[in-house]
Amino acid sequence: MTILGFIRKNALRNRRRALLSVGSVAVSLFLLVTLMTLIRELTIPPEDVGASLRLVVRNKVSLAQPLPYKQLSLLDRIPGVVAVTPFTFFGGNYRDEKVTSFAQFAVDPVRFTNVFVESRSSPGQIAAWIANRTGCLVGMDTMRRYDMKVGDKLKLTGTFYPCDLELKIEGTYQGSVDDRTVFFHHKYLDELTGDPGSVGTWWIRVAAADASGDVVSAINRTFQNTSAEVRAESERSFQMSFVSMWGNIQVLIESICSVVVFTLMLVTVSTMSMAIRERFRELAILKAIGFRRREIFTFILAESFGLAALGGLIGIGGAALFWGLLDVQKLSNGFLVYFEVVPRTMARAALVAALLGVVSAIGPSLAVARTSVVEGLKTLD
Amino acid sequence: MDTDPIVEVRGLTKIYRQGETNIVALNQVTVGIQPGEFVVLMGPSGSGKSTLLHLIAGIDRPTSGDVLVRGINVAALNESRLAEWRNRNVGFVFQSFNLIPVLTAAENVELPLLLTGLNAKRRREHVAAALDLVGLTERARHLPRQLSGGQEQRVAIARALVTDPLLVVADEPTGNLDAKSAHDVLGILQSLSREAGKTVIMVTHDPKAAAFGSRQLHLEKGEIVA
Ligand SMILES: Nc1ncnc2c1ncn2[C@@H]1O[C@H](COP(=O)(O)OP(=O)(O)OP(=O)(O)O)[C@@H](O)[C@H]1O
Ligand SMILES: [Mg+2]
Repeated sequence: MTILGFIRKNALRNRRRALLSVGSVAVSLFLLVTLMTLIRELTIPPEDVGASLRLVVRNKVSLAQPLPYKQLSLLDRIPGVVAVTPFTFFGGNYRDEKVTSFAQFAVDPVRFTNVFVESRSSPGQIAAWIANRTGCLVGMDTMRRYDMKVGDKLKLTGTFYPCDLELKIEGTYQGSVDDRTVFFHHKYLDELTGDPGSVGTWWIRVAAADASGDVVSAINRTFQNTSAEVRAESERSFQMSFVSMWGNIQVLIESICSVVVFTLMLVTVSTMSMAIRERFRELAILKAIGFRRREIFTFILAESFGLAALGGLIGIGGAALFWGLLDVQKLSNGFLVYFEVVPRTMARAALVAALLGVVSAIGPSLAVARTSVVEGLKTLD
Repeated sequence: MDTDPIVEVRGLTKIYRQGETNIVALNQVTVGIQPGEFVVLMGPSGSGKSTLLHLIAGIDRPTSGDVLVRGINVAALNESRLAEWRNRNVGFVFQSFNLIPVLTAAENVELPLLLTGLNAKRRREHVAAALDLVGLTERARHLPRQLSGGQEQRVAIARALVTDPLLVVADEPTGNLDAKSAHDVLGILQSLSREAGKTVIMVTHDPKAAAFGSRQLHLEKGEIVA
């Protein structure tokens, strides 16, 4: 027999309890990893290169207020601006869906391709899209999801615009932050709405990321004291302002995480102290035959750490495998895109498991250390 | 017997404080024990037998007085040195619930050897020898619950012996056993002192058990009376 074998036998002496504690750690950590992945998904900023080179200009009053079309020529002339496109949210519904899983934006197709340089499309399709005023460019995720083909008609029912779009899919793209969106001609939208001469936002590509700060202030200054003052910001911070609408949900999820960890802590601590309390007399005998406090502490720590680690392995590994194999995007109707269990999330959950193992060993170890051999011998099992 | 005593107890006192009152469990006990003796501690319940045994074996600390074993002042050792000292020098047999239930007889016997530097092979040899001595070679792979009370106690004796200690202490080792098993256990303890030259100290209430010893000490109210 080895010390390790002894620890293993002790840990498994009550198989049902060992199984239950490993199981509760596993289930809780599975849940924790899932929730942390959800938070990550909801707060993920676009990390691609193009995103950091892009600015979004919106009405200073609110996003819902339009901007005058005539701003375009002024924007074009601001130093550091490489390309500008109107970018107006349509918000239509596809078929009879209540909430459609992809957004649609009216853009200037030529300018658009100069702003969104990282999306990959075939040049032929782009040319066809530019040439067809009612053509549109559809992200590959949406193409796949709805089983669309280039050349198909795409009908969108307006929700706050009093008009419907009848588009023809001229091309596809992929490799952007979110390959779901549909883009179509701003001219077509203007035509349907009687050309109000306004756009939702301007999206801008700047020459260099480190100059974007200057460009932002130049833009804001240009439209100061005009009838439509603007707010320019980086694409990331623009996206984050949407994400912060999730702020409350994020707080909610985070508090659920804390409750999960706290409850798990209570469960493992009480399980472990029960397991050790039952063995007080045996531990006293071990002490009598020469085992020192530090050895006994090692036994207890190894046992609780072992159980927590096993539970952690099953829970964390299980979550990574489960969410990896599952087509989350499909199951969530496109609400969740990546839902990737990243190493960082796994590491944090593993840290929780390790802490559980250590923390639940402390109480019993102190109790054992405080009990003398003679006292321990008097406790009856 | 004129040899130097292996255990020298000098003015040993143990007082338990319980609220306002002091309970004197041992009062100025002085006694010497020679190597190879089989000393039996007797006396009424509460007279301090277990207390004296615990102090000699180094699992409890005296209020005052000394215990010297082979010249080493046991009470002066710190916690971790004392544990080491017990591992090398003392073998324990208690009244009941002696063995670790999840370990086989052989593994229970091996436990104290895990603290020594012996390799697995040497440990197995020692375990086999100890189990042979108590006549339980065939039961090596049995768990405690598969053994009778008497066999469990013999395994405990094997565990007490396996490190080849100076002292074997036993607190009412036959208290829970039937007459036949008690006889076996006592016979083994007796042969330990007679044949192996071990010093054995045993607490018992049973005069028949006491007859196996080479010397009897009677305690009353914390003092040795005979
Ligand atoms: N932890 C303790 N706290 C207070 N008093 C104690 C404690 N342990 C022992 N005593 C007291 O010390 C005295 C001697 O106890 P001890 O256990 O040595 O007696 P004993 O002779 O072994 O008795 P028994 O034959 O019943 O086992 C008793 O009066 C007992 O009540
Ligand atoms: Mg007693």
